[in-house]
Amino acid sequence: MSREAKVTSQPVHEVLIPGDPSFHDITHQVSAIVEGKTPKAWYVLFTISAIVASSLVFQIGYLIWEGIGIWGLNIPVAWGWAIVNFVFWVGIGHAGTLISAILFMLRQRWRTSINRFAEAMTIFAVICALLFPAIHVGRIWVVYWMAPVPNQMAMWPNFRSPLLWDFFAVGTYFTASLMFWYVGLIPDLATIRDRAASKLKKIFYGIFSLGWRGGNRQWRHYELAYLVLAGVSTPLVLSVHSIVSTDFATSVVPGWHTTIFPPYFVAGAIFSGFAMVLTLAIIARKVYGLENLITMKHLERINLIILVTGMMVGYAYSMEFFIAWYSGNIYEQFAFVNRAFGPYAWAYWIMVSCNVLVPQVFWFKKYRRHIVVMFIASILINVGMWFERFVIVITLASDYLPSSWDYYSPTVWDVGLLIGSFGLFFTLFLLFLRFLPMVAMSEVKGVLPQADPHHGGTHRG
Amino acid sequence: MSEQKSNNRGTGKDYWRSLDQLAQSERYKEFLQREFPEGASEHSNAWSRRNFLGIMGASLALAGLTGCRQPEEKIVPYVRPPEEVIPGIPQQYATAMPFGLDALGLVVESHVGRPTKIEGNAHHPSTLGAASVFMQAELLTMYDPDRSKLVLNNGRESTWDSFVAYWRERADIHKADRGKGLAVLTSPFASPTLFRLKNEFLRAYRDATWVSWEPISEEPVVEGMRLLTGEPLMPVYRLEKAEVIAAFDCDFVFSEPGSIVNARRFMDGRRVAVDFDPMNRLYVAEAAFTPTGAVADHRLALQAGRIPALLLGLAEALLNLGADPGVFQRQRPPQLTEHERAWCLELAKDLLIRRGKSVVMAGRKQPAHVHAIAMAINAALGGVGQTVSLKLLTDASLPDTQAFASLINDMKGGRVQTLITIGLNPAYNTPGSLDFGGGLERVEHRIHMGLYADETAAKSTWHLPQAHFLESWSDARAADGTITFMQPLIAPLYGGHSDVELYSLLVTGRDRAGYDIVRETWQDRFPRGLFESKWQQTLHDGLVEGSATPDENADLGALRLVRYLEQHPVSAPAADEIELVLTPSMATYDGRYANNGWLQECPDPVTKLAWDNAACLSPAMARRLGVKNEDVVSLRIGGKSVDMPVWIVPGQADHTVVTSLGYGRTAAGRVGNGVGFDTYPLRSHLEPYVRRGVTLAPAGGSYPLANTQDHGSMEGRPLVREMAVGDYRKHPGAIAEMEEHPPLKSLWEEHSYDTGYQWGMSIDLNACIGCNACTIACQAENNIPLVGKEQTRKGREMHWIRVDRYFNGDVDQPEMVHQPVPCQHCENAPCEQVCPVAATVHDKEGLNLMVYNRCIGTRYCSNNCPYKVRRFNFFNYTRDYAETIKMAQNPDVTVRSRGVMEKCTYCLQRINEARQVAKKDGNREIRDGEILTACQQACPTRAIVFGNINDPDSEVSTARARNRTYYLLGYLNVKPRTSYMAKLRNPMESMLNVEKTYGKQGGDR
Repeated sequence: MSREAKVTSQPVHEVLIPGDPSFHDITHQVSAIVEGKTPKAWYVLFTISAIVASSLVFQIGYLIWEGIGIWGLNIPVAWGWAIVNFVFWVGIGHAGTLISAILFMLRQRWRTSINRFAEAMTIFAVICALLFPAIHVGRIWVVYWMAPVPNQMAMWPNFRSPLLWDFFAVGTYFTASLMFWYVGLIPDLATIRDRAASKLKKIFYGIFSLGWRGGNRQWRHYELAYLVLAGVSTPLVLSVHSIVSTDFATSVVPGWHTTIFPPYFVAGAIFSGFAMVLTLAIIARKVYGLENLITMKHLERINLIILVTGMMVGYAYSMEFFIAWYSGNIYEQFAFVNRAFGPYAWAYWIMVSCNVLVPQVFWFKKYRRHIVVMFIASILINVGMWFERFVIVITLASDYLPSSWDYYSPTVWDVGLLIGSFGLFFTLFLLFLRFLPMVAMSEVKGVLPQADPHHGGTHRG
Repeated sequence: MSEQKSNNRGTGKDYWRSLDQLAQSERYKEFLQREFPEGASEHSNAWSRRNFLGIMGASLALAGLTGCRQPEEKIVPYVRPPEEVIPGIPQQYATAMPFGLDALGLVVESHVGRPTKIEGNAHHPSTLGAASVFMQAELLTMYDPDRSKLVLNNGRESTWDSFVAYWRERADIHKADRGKGLAVLTSPFASPTLFRLKNEFLRAYRDATWVSWEPISEEPVVEGMRLLTGEPLMPVYRLEKAEVIAAFDCDFVFSEPGSIVNARRFMDGRRVAVDFDPMNRLYVAEAAFTPTGAVADHRLALQAGRIPALLLGLAEALLNLGADPGVFQRQRPPQLTEHERAWCLELAKDLLIRRGKSVVMAGRKQPAHVHAIAMAINAALGGVGQTVSLKLLTDASLPDTQAFASLINDMKGGRVQTLITIGLNPAYNTPGSLDFGGGLERVEHRIHMGLYADETAAKSTWHLPQAHFLESWSDARAADGTITFMQPLIAPLYGGHSDVELYSLLVTGRDRAGYDIVRETWQDRFPRGLFESKWQQTLHDGLVEGSATPDENADLGALRLVRYLEQHPVSAPAADEIELVLTPSMATYDGRYANNGWLQECPDPVTKLAWDNAACLSPAMARRLGVKNEDVVSLRIGGKSVDMPVWIVPGQADHTVVTSLGYGRTAAGRVGNGVGFDTYPLRSHLEPYVRRGVTLAPAGGSYPLANTQDHGSMEGRPLVREMAVGDYRKHPGAIAEMEEHPPLKSLWEEHSYDTGYQWGMSIDLNACIGCNACTIACQAENNIPLVGKEQTRKGREMHWIRVDRYFNGDVDQPEMVHQPVPCQHCENAPCEQVCPVAATVHDKEGLNLMVYNRCIGTRYCSNNCPYKVRRFNFFNYTRDYAETIKMAQNPDVTVRSRGVMEKCTYCLQRINEARQVAKKDGNREIRDGEILTACQQACPTRAIVFGNINDPDSEVSTARARNRTYYLLGYLNVKPRTSYMAKLRNPMESMLNVEKTYGKQGGDR
């Protein structure tokens, strides 16, 4: 316990929220976004996102009507953009729970300013991700056969298949993340309920705040629940992408069949997740004037995590090559040489430049704290991480028998679904910004000096 | 070009566009009433299926026509079920397919009156139980919804009876002047009944003209024999007796007449079951790279125009070695290169050592005198009567290009009033040097009979739908003269009449049933009193046992040939003179199968192109021209030009453009219209196959081609394992050692699969010729859908067994190998482990099963299949099947819908059929060889063996125990049930030295 005390005592000295705001200031600043008039920019962005998102309805309708032949898939490349997008979004969905759960367990108190919308981002990214496995199957109308539903036909899923593991891993992750996010929201929802001017809002937020009154006993239960959920979520952060990686790692396909995949996928997921958090944070703090809550210090720490995970990813890239050579397996060797110099070399080098070279700018403090640089870097990393998944999936194009090698090109429907999923993501995110407190007020208050009046002599009344 | 291109791109789209155009015309309204529209067997563009109501209406109309068919002429329900027809148990009938001057004996499987599968007749000398792609695909042609269904008079609907009345009128006019101005144009045939009717016709109309002609025929062969012996003879090879074979531009295992038998007999001489079994040796000199060139032990690539000179060079070498073929008097052979002389010398030595056991073959792309020289050489080698025998063609109407040309001349001169064209499409496939269309315009009465309302039908005053051979009574003679019967499997589906019936009408003016006409022929020929029993026996067997023509003891003195060669000296083309080689298409043949989707989608054995023909060039020539695959070039010769895309074929002779005939049809039907490029305009009737002096220039632009195999190199992987037979005898274990891997151990205890039947397959790569017969057999047996050009180009073809083609060695003079790849039925199947819904599982007999109605289509199994043999239904490829195409489906096999994976089942339905038979038969064991998979059954060379690997005495166990056996990607420890036997070549040391010195490309370099 003493060890923990040491860890917790340290950040208290650090001023996380500058400008010495009072509890009320925080409440007011965050709640005002929800309570105030909707900005015009929001309407514009929401309209665009909603249109793009609703195109998904048409796209998926047509997909179900005609069949997945509308995509560019073939034999040997039987998985294409749908799976790339799935892994990409699951990866994005990593940062939120990592920030909320793992950083919470590690007592990284700076996380409080960004955890709420990072978690929201996670939920929405996982929703986007879950879209793809559901629609990528050939017979969408029987996709529920993946679930172990007892039935009179005595059909049961095959628990040896990594796709089934995926189903459970991503499903569990989504459920746990949603609960974690919601539990965290309860005190803030109650705050908004209490401040609500209209009856309708009072009822709406009242229902979702589950009768929160802020009593001592409620706080005790709440904090315990939060801790338990953080504990549950922590292994999930690591497991979900490990299991997603087994889709590839347990196969016999050269270039997929590698033991490095689980840690490499987790590192990549954190990497891409933080890049996405960064992108969103930069925009949100600017638009809603939250520079005092999401400070440069927060952004710099995100950048440091990106730098570290980026190098882990780079290490994985080079280690894959080394092991392919070291294995002496000609199929494996060819798969990697082909990645770098074959027909998809362009994708490989986009991936390497964006994921390995770009984060290197964060060695310099100047750039770690430079909004424009980090914004561009975060976008490039998102692009690079999409390409990483593309490079992995497209390894299918040249496997064992050269006779079946073929080139895969996406169709307009492949591209459309990726764009549509971004539309869905931003639609959900904009709704979140408009109707829910985007910064965890109660938690931010917890890291203010006032929250800890008797410790370290920083009491200011 | 641009217009041609836009017409050709996207067959699917086009086909709809033309229907739309039709929609505005009167003719289309007529169509609606009488056609069964839609459902080309090809998957069309998804956006354009606007035809749902049409199908519904048409299906209703069809319901009245699809009754079950027995020999009765009326359609009645089974109030009294016919004897022997048990629903669910198919029947087999023997019949035959006429093909040129040959008849290919068939056994056709029929389910409740619907023929569903064509196999070879094991007793028939032309097929020996195997079946070529064309034979098998005829089934689809018979059911083709685009076949002609109506008698047309000047484009208007008419009836057979009106035609009969019309012809009687015409007949009286022609009888009056003894048939002057009356001409009949038919395809060549060898058929007792047709020959009898032809003679009767010529007796009735003494001055009438009767011409038999076909764009691709045995004419050069027969004329060559006539040149040598004065008689129209047909060489029949006995390759099982040959130890050394030299093929001059002769693709005898694949595209030449008699290929099935020749391939089988040839491979019988090189099976090498145990290390020291003898193996024959094959030398090939050819321009195009052919399947025969692929199995050659020594292959010399040179211009087809140099082949005559090379053959004379061989004759000279033999003369110098003391075996005079007698073809020279004063004339000396033309200048050969040092390389070619050395090649001829080594070949001559090898042929001579095995005198009486060697044979020289010439291909029909070569002119008549080449065949004569080749046979003269055979005579000198003592091969005639041993490795080759000559048969007199009887009951045959021989192809005669000269007569065809003069007929056109007569037509142009207005000397023909009535032209009756039967079973031919000369408006499309006449060589560009002859103007058939121009002649036809001058003919007043133009009668055409054909399976399709084709290009010629459109220009005729009368079109008569022809009955398919599976719908008709007829007879024929096989290449060796064996009498063969054809009986209908089904009443004419579209109301056609057979050529026999038309011939008879032309002669007698009476409209009689084909059955009676054919019986009439045999009333005289079969012994009196025994007619009925003999007739029944022949129908049952499909042939008259022992009716082959005896060998002809022809005079092979070669004097006529010597005189001919004096007058027509053989010259070799200048090296830089580019020659054009026109070959029959392996898909459409001469264009007749253009509307057959199975064939169109079947990749060429060498180029692996489907749905198109291309101008094939050697890599060196493409480099010189600066063109790459799919670039469009303009071919120009004799004032005609054709623009077509380039395809580079390693190993093809330099300075040669090889392209196939039979594409670019405009009235083939919905599948075949606008597919590929019509090369008949480039053809000359004087030089039908090989023309010198073609010019070739890039025309700009490119044209997409559908290729099923993008990559031709094995990348150094031990996939197709190959050895020289000498090395193999020294180190028989070397084949297994070609792949190094750690001990194959599993982490868990594996299922032992050691009881009951354990199915396995062995494929002998030494016997495989890459002919695709297995692919089409599988397609027919297993209801495999067609996907069309666009989908094929995307890599979505559905074939359950594909034939991989690899090149190895130098890109300009490589060797080619073929490898059929079906599902390997791995005991440790990687596909099974990854399926989330357990839709692919193992059964206790070691089969990897695919449960279609459990499959949800994640396609993970395909990703994890190292052999990529799984095929996915990306669309509902079977949705738009016409009713008649549905009739062609095998009722024992599920027709798959969209979204499910499928793959080879080792013909599970056949296994279960045998199981039922064995069970009923006193619960006995299934005998070895009782189950033939479709691919195995069709294989001309018996490269595929299937059976129970748990029975140590079974054929497949024996094969697996041989030291040539290996497992594809065995190192993965997936334990495939399909094994391969390594390929062997039998090169000669001294010829290897020639190749080392000069390479494998002939001609002046």
